Amino acid sequence: MKTFWRSDWESLAKDELRREGAESLSRESQEGIPIQALYSQDDLDAIGFVESFPGLPPYTRGPRASMYFNRPWTIRQYAGFSTARESNTFYRQCLAAGQKGLSVAFDLATHRGYDSDHPRVPGDVGKAGVAIDSVEDMKILFDGIPLDKMSVSMTMNGAVLPVLASFIVAAEEQGVPQEKLTGTIQNDILKEYMVRNTYIFPPEPSMRIVADVIAYTSQHMRKFNNISISGYHMQEAGADSAIELAYTIGDGIEYVRLVTERGLDIDHFAPRLSFFFGIGMNFLMEIAKLRAARTLWYEKMQVFHPKDPRSSILRTHCQTSGYSLAEQDPYNNVVRTTIEAMAAVLGGTQSLHTNALDEALALPSEFSARIARNTQLILMEESDLSFCVDPFGGSYMMETLTRQLIDKAKMLLKEIDEAGGMTKAILAGIPKLHIEEAAARKQAKIDNGTNTIVGVNKYTAPTDKALKILDINNKEVLQAQKASLETLRRTRDEKKVQNALMQLSAGASDPHANLLQLTMEAMRARATVGEATEALVKVFGRYQASSYSVKSVYGKFMKDNPQFKEAHRRVDAFNRKHGRRPRILVAKLGQDGHDRGAKVIASGLADLGFDVDIGPLFQIPEEAVRQAIENDVHVIGVSSQAGSHKTLIPQLIDCLKKEGAHQIKTVVGGVIPPHDYEFLLSQGVGAIFGPGTPIPECALAILNLLENQT
Amino acid sequence: MMDIQTLAQQILASDRKALAQAITLIESSLPIHRLKAEELLGVLPHSQDTVRIGISGIPGVGKSTFISQLGSWLLSKKKARKIAVLTVDPSSPLEGGSILADKLRMQELARHPDVFIRPSPNLGTLGGLARGTRESIQVLEAAGFETIFVETVGVGQSEVHVASLVDAFVLLQMPSTGDEWQTLKKGILELADLIVVNKADGELKQEALRMKKMLELSFSYHEEGFHPAVLTCSSLENEGVGNIGEQVEHFIARQKSNHQFLERRKMQNQFWFEEELVWCLKEEMGHNPHVKKLIDPLRNKVRKGSLGISAAARRAVELLLH
Ligand code: B12
Ligand SMILES: Nc1nc2c(ncn2[C@@H]2O[C@H](COP(=O)(O)OP(=O)(O)OP(=O)(O)O)[C@@H](O)[C@H]2O)c(=O)[nH]1
Ligand SMILES: [Mg+2]
Repeated sequence: MKTFWRSDWESLAKDELRREGAESLSRESQEGIPIQALYSQDDLDAIGFVESFPGLPPYTRGPRASMYFNRPWTIRQYAGFSTARESNTFYRQCLAAGQKGLSVAFDLATHRGYDSDHPRVPGDVGKAGVAIDSVEDMKILFDGIPLDKMSVSMTMNGAVLPVLASFIVAAEEQGVPQEKLTGTIQNDILKEYMVRNTYIFPPEPSMRIVADVIAYTSQHMRKFNNISISGYHMQEAGADSAIELAYTIGDGIEYVRLVTERGLDIDHFAPRLSFFFGIGMNFLMEIAKLRAARTLWYEKMQVFHPKDPRSSILRTHCQTSGYSLAEQDPYNNVVRTTIEAMAAVLGGTQSLHTNALDEALALPSEFSARIARNTQLILMEESDLSFCVDPFGGSYMMETLTRQLIDKAKMLLKEIDEAGGMTKAILAGIPKLHIEEAAARKQAKIDNGTNTIVGVNKYTAPTDKALKILDINNKEVLQAQKASLETLRRTRDEKKVQNALMQLSAGASDPHANLLQLTMEAMRARATVGEATEALVKVFGRYQASSYSVKSVYGKFMKDNPQFKEAHRRVDAFNRKHGRRPRILVAKLGQDGHDRGAKVIASGLADLGFDVDIGPLFQIPEEAVRQAIENDVHVIGVSSQAGSHKTLIPQLIDCLKKEGAHQIKTVVGGVIPPHDYEFLLSQGVGAIFGPGTPIPECALAILNLLENQT
Repeated sequence: MMDIQTLAQQILASDRKALAQAITLIESSLPIHRLKAEELLGVLPHSQDTVRIGISGIPGVGKSTFISQLGSWLLSKKKARKIAVLTVDPSSPLEGGSILADKLRMQELARHPDVFIRPSPNLGTLGGLARGTRESIQVLEAAGFETIFVETVGVGQSEVHVASLVDAFVLLQMPSTGDEWQTLKKGILELADLIVVNKADGELKQEALRMKKMLELSFSYHEEGFHPAVLTCSSLENEGVGNIGEQVEHFIARQKSNHQFLERRKMQNQFWFEEELVWCLKEEMGHNPHVKKLIDPLRNKVRKGSLGISAAARRAVELLLH
């Protein structure tokens, strides 16, 4: 047989393309990496590919030699809602149905270090996670769950001290000593300032807390992962794979530097560092990302001269992308999640969360949670996915992509180094700006149809049958929490509590004290999460991250879109008629820190010609109303994702009425389940915009609302 | 349509909503609103016993943060009773919209009951910015806000306008010892009554002090006359802001004792009258069909090159005035 070369293929393919009117044999990924139609040995030669093996440096092919061959990944579904009692029941059901590890989602009041009875949080208690105020709640949460056997992951960052302390004390009172505890504490504060927004203190004391937690756990809880360095949230906030990869590794290095500078030996704590990545719909790129992450981590860690090989092995949890899931035609989401889960597995993850099909509506229902869990069980037990280690290894395409991602990430990391490391770069707002720019671009590409989302901007279904979703009665949870707080405060030894809290405050100004140890004393004496936080706030203060806005990115990609042009015209006409542009306050209420939607809407509306006031995170309704009145906006647009709309929107409208600001309209956008629409409209909301609404459509509806009455 | 008498009453009672709506009226581009605004300004009293402080500097230098700290300091020290802040953000020249984010960095101040903060888009025109701001100041003063801050992004020409609106013009600078500071427009530095090197914290602290020295040196070359004081502070860590508050106080006191304070305001009034006159003429020339008829032939000739530009302009003025 004649030998053929790549050039033979290329001319053949080009002929085909010419006939079909296409131009190039390569397209650009959102990371700016060319994805070729074909890869071959030439590509491997070009990157100087060297074969490597799983479980051996540089760990591209996997952290363990046998990978899933004998021990599959851990199915670890992130969950928590309402009271500790209810979450406990749910956990037990899940474990009985095949789940292997627990992952606790706390509510936003807890995340931000407020007790349930604090005046700034009534809308948030028990809504987007479980409400935990003290050791008592923590004991109920794990009632009947053997903490010496069950690994527990806890997503907690801002209030990491009182929450982790409560966990340790609850275990201890259950008879499980701390050294037996397995699991993970997220404890990754840097990405909170960047994208997740549940920070409490300023960066400097927060970094000290991270180090205190690592120092304590690496001594007393040797089986516990002391941090989960997370890129997942960056992806969900808008980052592409290269950005996610670079900043996650960057954060990791920053933590290692922090802890080694304290004098801890690298091999004493580094084997317990763990990672967390998001897995979106770019199947090939996401597999490459996990391979690239392990390689890059290994490389970067060599600077610290570890002797224990485990110190430079990246082990990771993954979660499929919630952002990729749509409200419209929601069963499509099962398919999307399956694809993403496969990428995570093929990339070699150690544990995995798969999202539920009602992701864009509410927290998972019993039904949707089962399907999500089964998705993994099917991949694990019905398919042959876990038979072979790194099946993509050696693939021309995969090895090339892996290398290109590494190179791209290194470039981004160079910018961070120049800014003086991750902490400084974050303070200067550099990473957040990159992420928000990517988010605005993504929104534009969906709104103008460049990126297909089946059921949203293409192939839309006639009408969706409403899903039955989980609805948490936040008033009941609030009452229950208030009652148990009251009992707690009545029955505890008050003097002991106050004494422990004073010690904690004192420890905050003493760099040699370990704050986790001191917090454990306070929690043992039955201080609350809020009180322990307040003791630290006294010394550290509460922090508000500054925020920047991208401009003109959305408009640039949308300028030829007919709906965009029409909305723009309408805005100009409004301006001519009323003597000023439509002015909107984009507000975030309560402890809800999801700001991607608000940022995207704000910059999109500004590009359409609106004057946009940006409200700070964590406003209470009264503060938003005052800002709206002073700035004399036409409309307040509340962006709500964390489920507090039924409490906070009526409060907002009441307050507007009380102030006599009848001229100011209210619209709401975000994660609002359709069955709440009627209630909100009856309260006086002028329009509601769910996930997937194109921004020009929002703009036109707002203009209609304003023009009807002015 | 709003009744001006009622609006004026509410403003005098310091009603937040009325104040906000009055500023909207002032900023409106509709001629009918302009008339109403003029009517309103006509019935509101002019208070003299106020202090207007302008804060300018490049984007991100820390103007909003600084105002928030200084304002809080003034209130806590009872050096001010009621504070208003006007901030101006650039509108996009392309789409016309704007993102108004200054208040984000003034949250502490914004929550205070005796504070009124209003961010405004600059509407793309310098004239519009200054007119709106000047008239809004009058409204706020009538409502009893006796300390007024005006925040503007420093972009060349606009400083002149803002400096002519305020009793004390404070220029914020970034610490930098590179070549950048030398490229600072001398003209702008000379407008300043006080120069503040902000962000004197962390690693920038040393640079800030060096910057201060250099600025002082550069002033000492000009032998005679007034030299603005150069100070450093960290708005973020609230270090040295009180000191700047005191310096501003001294400056105002000195102006008053020299009788410069009212003199400056009088000069400013005259300056603004002349500016307004030019704007009004320009506007009239844009709209008036009679003017258009007179000027269009000249415009054509200039375009074709058959008449010199300045000769044509002089000819146009002659035609208009006869
Ligand atoms: C991205 C995301 C995150 C990111 C947020 C990053 C960021 N900086 O924003 C991360 C990973 C950090 C995150 C964290 C959490 N999340 Co989350 N998250 C999401 C997710 C997947 C997408 C939201 C999103 O940004 N979409 C993209 C934007 C562009 O769309 P959008 O916000 O819907 O906005 C569009 C429209 O709604 C409308 N719109 C929105 N606002 C406005 C305003 C105006 C004025 C107008 C006109 C229009 C408008 O226009 C936009 C364009 O179409 C949703 C699920 C989903 N698919 O919606 C869950 C979701 C919102 N998260 C949820 C939860 C529980 C959390 C956590 C609280 C979990 C926990 N216990 O720790 C944390 C805490 C976060 C915090 N601090 O509040 C829940 C909320 C449950 C509920 N409502 O009952 C959801 C619904 C997922 C779920 N089903 O469980 N999350
Ligand atoms: N390190 C440091 N940062 C500061 C200081 N003052 C302000 N900043 C930061 O600088 C950034 C910009 O601050 P702003 O107050 O918004 O600056 P501005 O000049 O009003 O900005 P524009 O209105 O956008 O022109 C924010 O991130 C502030 O936190 C300071 O004294 N030190
Ligand atoms: Mg500002």
